[in-house]
Formats: sequence, structure tokens, C-alpha cells
Amino acid sequence: MSKIVVPGETLSDTPKPIAYGFTEGGKTYSSITGVFDEKNFRLIPIEGVYIPVVGDYVVGVVTDVKYAGYNVDIHSAYGAFLSNKETRDLFELGDLIVAKIKGVDEVKNVDLTDARKLKDGKVVNVVPSRVPRLIGKKSSMVNLVKDGTGTEIVIGKNGRIWLKGGNIGLATSAVEKIDDEAYTSGLTDRMAKYIGDNKQ
Amino acid sequence: MDKPELFVDGKRVDGRALDELRPVKVDAGVLSNADGSAYVEWGKNKVIAAVYGPREHIPRHGQNPYKANVRVKYNMTPFCSIDGHGRSGPNRRSTEISKVLEEVYENVVLTDHFPKTAIDVFIEVLQADGGTRIAALTAGAVALANAGIPMKDVVAGAASGKAGGKMILDLGKLEDNYGESDIPIGISPRTKEILLMQMDGLLTKQEIAEAIDLSFKGAEKVSELQKKALKDCYDKKMSEAGQGAQQ
Repeated sequence: MSKIVVPGETLSDTPKPIAYGFTEGGKTYSSITGVFDEKNFRLIPIEGVYIPVVGDYVVGVVTDVKYAGYNVDIHSAYGAFLSNKETRDLFELGDLIVAKIKGVDEVKNVDLTDARKLKDGKVVNVVPSRVPRLIGKKSSMVNLVKDGTGTEIVIGKNGRIWLKGGNIGLATSAVEKIDDEAYTSGLTDRMAKYIGDNKQ
Repeated sequence: MDKPELFVDGKRVDGRALDELRPVKVDAGVLSNADGSAYVEWGKNKVIAAVYGPREHIPRHGQNPYKANVRVKYNMTPFCSIDGHGRSGPNRRSTEISKVLEEVYENVVLTDHFPKTAIDVFIEVLQADGGTRIAALTAGAVALANAGIPMKDVVAGAASGKAGGKMILDLGKLEDNYGESDIPIGISPRTKEILLMQMDGLLTKQEIAEAIDLSFKGAEKVSELQKKALKDCYDKKMSEAGQGAQQ
């Protein structure tokens, strides 16, 4: 069973480490407002900004073209840098790119690699902590949207979702609906119905 | 103007019992442009809080390489008081309250998770009737939790003091202006630690102990309302989906 918990709420009377929680005085507490899955002892945040993690793919905007590379805005408190050594392509100011986070140092400066330009299309912003729900188990949720709309979708772990072509109107509203209801149960079935009903 | 009677027929000016809180209403997630927000009505006080962050620390100087800086800006709007003074902008009192609230939040926010960033808490008092700093504390705490900022607790508070010779909970404007003492207290309900405590007036040691006791009782009630407000944000959608947020 899942329930919403708030910061300081007790999750366990024993010290059990849990992501987004903390232990104090032999008990475990939540540090965030989130969904607590008691059965699997998991805490999933509902809100929150993006914290860069090595290996994540993020969608960024080139904000500065420097001699050695590019400064990229990844909609985080922390800036990212794409070195010329990490890419064969040339980018321009304002370009939208998808790239992988190669490294995050102790002060959370981000280095990117494996960058590719995203031409045309549009960007929808979702709450970063809800991106896993948008992807779904084994990409089940995002595939539902892709198959039902024919839209090309690139998901940035930083909450930026790039959409291009197909039934882009339906894809946009589907992504926004998933973002809006990410913490509810039975979402996959409801989305399947939503896309089916609105396909035309 | 004569000093008003603070006790009429054994009841306070607004009819409350000695240990009775004014009606408090808390709503979370009321602003769509902020990362987190809250609106609190506390008696006739109306306070709104908005949180942005963790975000880039601008200006760069003052940035802490090891943790986030919590920056609180408490402000009273030009129309919040009965004389509608029309003057706006920070004054010494609002700078003091901003600093004091900053210290409260820095005690519970897990700032070391976000080095070099800023977490901005903006609190505006739309209508003031005594006890605004506690209402502000309450709203700011809910806004921080609503923004998904990791914290050890949602802080709550209540002021207590002495008016008309009696120890009372939650002073209204009249009781604050004409009473003998006012003690706003902010706590972490989980650990029962006191995170804010200021005092106007003179009290005996025994009276201070009574005041702390009264404030704790009040703060605990407020804490329940804060938690409910945070959960209610999601309750509607969850019940539409066939679940409850409050199980």
C-alpha cells in the first residue's frame, strides 16, 4: 500500500537506510514529500529539482560557445559543460541537444559527452522526479505514447521532454497528464485508455 | 485612547479561552510559478509564501561551496495593516524576521545535499493582526516541503505570552500591543526542539515555563494542519484514481 508522507514523518522504528530518507535516534524518517511504498520500503519523491547523476541522458540548451567547448543549461542548479573533445559535431548558441552525463565532480559541475542536436520539435517540461514514471517499467509508459501517436520522443532525466512529429498535440497532452498524475496508481491503464479514446 | 479591556467576563477580547488558538487554515501548492508555495490564514492574518530552489546562487559571492544558502525575505505589503501606510520595502523589523526565519529553516533543511546553490523563501504578509512571524514561519515551512526540498521536519510554531495578568496562547494584535509579554516560539514537532524563541516584556521563570508549554500545545495543532495541507494537494487526484492520500 502506498501513502503520501511529509518531511519528518516516521517510516520505520528501526534504522533502515532509504533513499530520500534519513535515520536518527534509531528510527527512519522521510526527508521529503513523497509516496511511501510500505511493502517494498521505497520512497518516491513527488516534487523536486534535478540533481545531476553520472550516466543520465539530459536535454540541454547551448548557452555559450567557448573555445574549448560549450556551456549547456540543463535546467538544474548546476551548469554543464560539453568539451570539444567529447563531440565531433559543431553546435550553435541556442541549440537544443541531448547528451549523456560523463562526470559530476564534488562541487557538482557536470561534464557531458555523446551529444546530438535535436532539430525542430518542441520541449515539454515535467517535474524531474516524475521522469521515471513517464518512462515506466521497461519503457512501457513512454512506448504507449510513442505507439499511439507516432511522435518521436526523447526523454531527458532533467525533466525536459523533446517531442517531434506524429500526433504531437496528443503526445503533449499525454505527457502533461502523466506528469500531473504521476503519483497515482493505475496510471498505465488510464493512459492506455486516454490515448485510445483521443487517437482519432 | 484608553487602554482596552483585555478580559471581558473571563474571556479574551475575541471570546477565546486562555489556551485557545485562533482559527488556522493552511493550503499548499497555491502558486504555479513557484517551485513550492503555501497560503496561511491565522485568525485575521493572511500570509503567502513561495519557494524557489535549490537554484543557482545569484549573486555569486556568498555562495557556500559545501551547502545551499537558505535566503528568506519576509515582507509586509503596503496594505497589510489597518492604516494602509502605503510604504513598502524592507525595514529593520522585516530584516530581523527574515534573519530569524532563515536560521530556523537552515536547522532542518538538508543543505549539504545542494552545494553552491540558493534556496529562496519569499513570504508576504497580506493582512496583519498580531503573530505574523509565526504565521510566516508556518507558511514558509509548508512551501519548502511543497517544493520537494529535503528537510528533517516541517517546522511549526505558536506564540504565547501574558495579557491582562493571565498566561495565554496565540496573542492577537490587541493583546500583543497592550499585554505584558509576547513570546513567539518555533519548534521541530518531531524532536520537540525549539528553533525560534524571542521575547518582549518581562516574565518570571515559572511564567516562561508556562508559556513554552502553551506554545508547544499550539504548535502541535498547527503541525497537523500543515501535514494535512501538504497531503491534500495530491488527495483529489489520488481519490479520482481510486486511492487515498491519507491512509
